Order: sequence, then structure tokens, then C-alpha cells
Amino acid sequence: MKNFRYLVLGALVATALPFTGLVVGSQAQLGSLGRAPAEEGGPLMPPLEPGQAVQGREVYLSLGCVSCHTQQVRPAGQGRDIAAGLGGRPSVARDYVLQPVVLLGDRRIGPDLANYGSRAKSESDVLAALRKPVHAPGLRFDADGKPDARVTALAAYLRSLRQDYSSPEAPLK
Amino acid sequence: MSRIDAPLRVPFTLLFGSAALWLTLASVFSLLAKVQLLPSGLGACEWFAHGRLEAAARNAFVYGWAGNALFALNLWLLSQLGRFEIRNGWMAAIGGLFWNLALTWCTVSVIVHGPGAYALLDFPAGAGPVLAVSFALAGLWPVVAYAKRPTGHNFAAQWFVVGASVAFLLAFVLAQVTVVWAPASGVVQAVAHSWYVRSVELLWLGGSALGFGYYFVSKVLARPLHAYYLASVAFWTYFLFAGWTAPAALIGSPVPLWVQSAGVVGCVMMLVPVLLIGLNLLGALSKEGGWSRAWNSTSLRFISLGLTSILASIVLAAWSSDRAVNAALRFTSFSEGQGVLLLYAGVTMCVFGASYAALPRVSGGRWPSAAAIHTHFWASLLGAVGTVVSAFAQVGGRSPDWAFVAAGSSALLLLGHLAFASNAFATLIGGGESPQSHPAHD
Repeated sequence: MKNFRYLVLGALVATALPFTGLVVGSQAQLGSLGRAPAEEGGPLMPPLEPGQAVQGREVYLSLGCVSCHTQQVRPAGQGRDIAAGLGGRPSVARDYVLQPVVLLGDRRIGPDLANYGSRAKSESDVLAALRKPVHAPGLRFDADGKPDARVTALAAYLRSLRQDYSSPEAPLK
Repeated sequence: MSRIDAPLRVPFTLLFGSAALWLTLASVFSLLAKVQLLPSGLGACEWFAHGRLEAAARNAFVYGWAGNALFALNLWLLSQLGRFEIRNGWMAAIGGLFWNLALTWCTVSVIVHGPGAYALLDFPAGAGPVLAVSFALAGLWPVVAYAKRPTGHNFAAQWFVVGASVAFLLAFVLAQVTVVWAPASGVVQAVAHSWYVRSVELLWLGGSALGFGYYFVSKVLARPLHAYYLASVAFWTYFLFAGWTAPAALIGSPVPLWVQSAGVVGCVMMLVPVLLIGLNLLGALSKEGGWSRAWNSTSLRFISLGLTSILASIVLAAWSSDRAVNAALRFTSFSEGQGVLLLYAGVTMCVFGASYAALPRVSGGRWPSAAAIHTHFWASLLGAVGTVVSAFAQVGGRSPDWAFVAAGSSALLLLGHLAFASNAFATLIGGGESPQSHPAHD
């Protein structure tokens, strides 16, 4: 391997090949994916996010919540997510098409949040959970226990997290 | 000081001095992040959110410590091997200066405003171009040293270091485009991110560490490597397969099944270069008292430990890519343990080993404190073992007891890094007066 050009070119090609195959290939397959009804004439899914939830995502990001929480449910043959009640069906790529930043996460120090919105019974449930953020300090409530704007936005975001609808790729049983 | 080493002094001192500072800072952030996971936590300040501290620690460790150290050591190593005399070292120094300024901005931003969604890409979008240009100025010198070498010498260590240097720049630019500047749609971002992380870990950091292994094992043992004719196959298979291992981190995620399968195949195929590299390096260490000699050389003690950890980590990655195993291990602390095994017990140990040989050569000084070297070795080793064991022990579920072990291990690592950094600064400024009782490199 005395030829400098072969070495550099070879290393560049070896680095770029998996990018082309995996990233460009995935983009070619999923790039045009959009909202779709589970059955003909049904509503388009996933649903649009409320404006406050969009602000709440920024709070979620800024606190680094993604380092401890995932937002994905694995299929039945790949882990116990569905058996453990994390969702009624596996997550599919279409569930994330409206998200500008996809927050799948890769560790579960805290619970999975893909269907947190459907598990939480009410807003007060969510606020109660945010009152004791063991590992994410900084959320503020006033002396009367009322949340500030960031907490309210984060609660709206968490309540918007739900994959409890049928998708063409993963119908809800 | 040789005429090869003399012109390296200024850029090397700037880059390695920065690396030592970042290592200490990363250790502090990491310790705080671990303490935040204890039941008592760290209080109500938002800056101490676990996600922020962990992201700051990760960036400081990878880009600050490993990045700066590899700029310095890769340049030194390729200058040695090719008898290359650097003429425009100020460019490397300028590149290093801007790299560190951009990284400081990123670290402050992560702590004050919060990290982004993707590990190792979680800094302001504007920092990306600065980091890319800085890398081109400071990190591509090994490529220049290889291209302009007057001797025509051609060693496996050079291939790994040159490959690692160009691979990082390409991976960084492509990841910036597809994840930060013009994000790919939906879950494709996660695929691009996993590819970038594996490229950084295996190609840039792992490739450079293996380059150190190929140089120092042969140099310290003063004999050819075992089955050296296989080294070119090891190099090419390592670089060809490493990037394909990325989607193994997404098994079960909502990405196409063929992408996940490619990750499994990539992880299994990585066993080929692991076997060949093991044959070359561990084979040489296993002959004629090689391990014993490695133990008696500070450099090779760190490097042999690091090489073993890198290879073990890749074998573990292949094992855990099995779908049944992955179903049980995914989302647990197993990946943390595997990451520490690769990046700390593996790459960082190799960097420590190389620095024990390089610093005295470049600075003309000596490591002033044998006690600090011993403290560094044992604190790093025990800290790494404690971190890996506590991560693997919590695969079944997090426990406060093991969280204390993890925090204690981080404290040990900080102690070791303080000993290393103080000793390194003393060496770099030529303050080492007393002869060391424990030769760093013989």
C-alpha cells in the first residue's frame, strides 16, 4: 500500500459506502412518507401537534430528557415493550413524520414516553409527575403550586405523545 | 530533541495541554452526572440536569480530550514513522485554537441552554463549520506527513492513522448536513446519527488507537508483529465493515428491517478484522514474555490493556447484535458499559500509553513523578473496571447501590486524570528534573 492516493481514496470510500447504503437508502425508502389514514376515508395519522406541545418539545430537549427516556415501542418479537403495556402496537416510521427532531432515545433510565399521553389520565397527573423530577431540576412552580409557562408547555408536549391510533403499517388490535 | 521533534513542540504542547484540560473537565462533568443519578441528587439548579451534564461530559471527552490528543499524537507518530519535518506547524496550532474555542462555546451552550437531540452532535449549528475547518487545519497533518514522507516507509500504523483522520472529517461533514443543517426526514435522522457515532467511535478514535498499537507493540518488544503480512487485510476489513455496524444500535426501532439486518451483518463481519488484529498484536504480545515486557513498560502497559479492551468491545457488540440477546439488552445500561470499554478502557488507555512515550520526546523533559504515573494507572484501571462492572450489573434494573459504585468509579477516574494532567503539564513545560524510576518507554 505504497500509493498515498489509494489509501486516502480507499478510506474515504469505505467511510462513505455505509452512509450511502444506510442513510441515502433509508431516505429513498422513507423520504416521501407522510400522514395517512389507517383505512380508506379515515382521519390522517399521526395527528397534528398542538402549538403548546411544539414549545414543550423545546423544553424537553433543553433539559436533556432524551438521555433517560425513549419514545419508541418495539415489536412483540423484539423485547417485552407491548407485553409491559408501553403501547398497543409497535412504533413505525410514519409515527415520526411530523417531528422536526426525532427523539427516539436509546436508554431507559426513566420510563418510555411513546404513549405517555394515553397513559396519563389528566393534566394534573402530568404536573404531579413533573413536580418531582428526580434527575431534571429546574422546572418551576410558584408558591401556590401553579406551574410556570415552561412546565405548562412541557406538560402539553408529554400529553401529546401517543401512538394509540391505527397506522397502515401497524393496525391497532 | 531530534530535528523531527523540535518543530512539533509548539503545536504539540498547545494541543496536548488542551487535551489534558478537557480530560479533567470531562471527568468533573461525568462525576457530577453520576452524582445527579444518586437518590440525593445535586439540587434544583437546571444546569445540573443529568442530560446536560452527561452531554457536556461526552463532548468534552470525545472532542476535547480525544480530539486534541489525537491531533497531537497522530502528527507526532506519523512524523516519526515517515521522518517528516513539519514546516507550517502554526497552522495546526491555529486549527487547535479554533477547535478549542468552538468546543468551549459548545460546552457552555450545552450547560446553559441544554443539549440537542443527538449525542455528539448536540451543539449549536453554527459550531459545526468552525469545527470542520479547525479539524482540517489541525487534524489532517498526519495525512500530509504520510504524503510528504521522505523515506517511503510504509507501516500499518500509518494506514490506520491516515484512514482515521480522513474518515472523521468526511463523517463529520455528512452528519452535519443530514442531521443538523438539513435534517433527513423522520427516523432517517436516527440512522444517520447512529452511522456518525459508530464512525467516530470505530474509525476515528478506534482507528487511531489501533495505529498506536501497531507502532508501540512492535517498537517496545523490538520485534516484528505476528503474521504481519495480514495487517493490510486487517486494515481494509476494519475500515470496510466498521460503518455498517451502526444500525445494530437501532434493532427493534421503527427503521427499515433491512437497515437493522445490515447492522447485524456488519457487527458479525467485524469479527474478521478483530481476529486479524488480535493475531498481529496480541499474538506478538503472547510470544517470548511479551506480556511481561508490556507490564514493565508504562507505554505498552496502557496500550496492551487498551487493545484488549477495544477488541473485547467489538466482540461484545457482535454478541449483543443477536436479536434475542438484543431484545434483553436494548435500552439497558449494557450499551453504557460497552461504550466505556471501547472509548475509555480501549481508546483512552492507548492514548495514555502513546502520550507517555511522546511527551518526553517532544518536550525534551521527563515525566517528573513516578508516583503520579502509578496513581494514574491504578486509578484509571480501577475506575474503568468499576464503571464497566456497575453498568453491566444494572442491566436487569437500576439500583442505588450500583449507582454509588458508578459515582465512586468516576471519582477514581477524576483522581487518575488529575495525576496524569499535572504530570503531563510538568513534562510539557520541561519541569521534570528527577529521573523517573519507571521508564515510560524503553
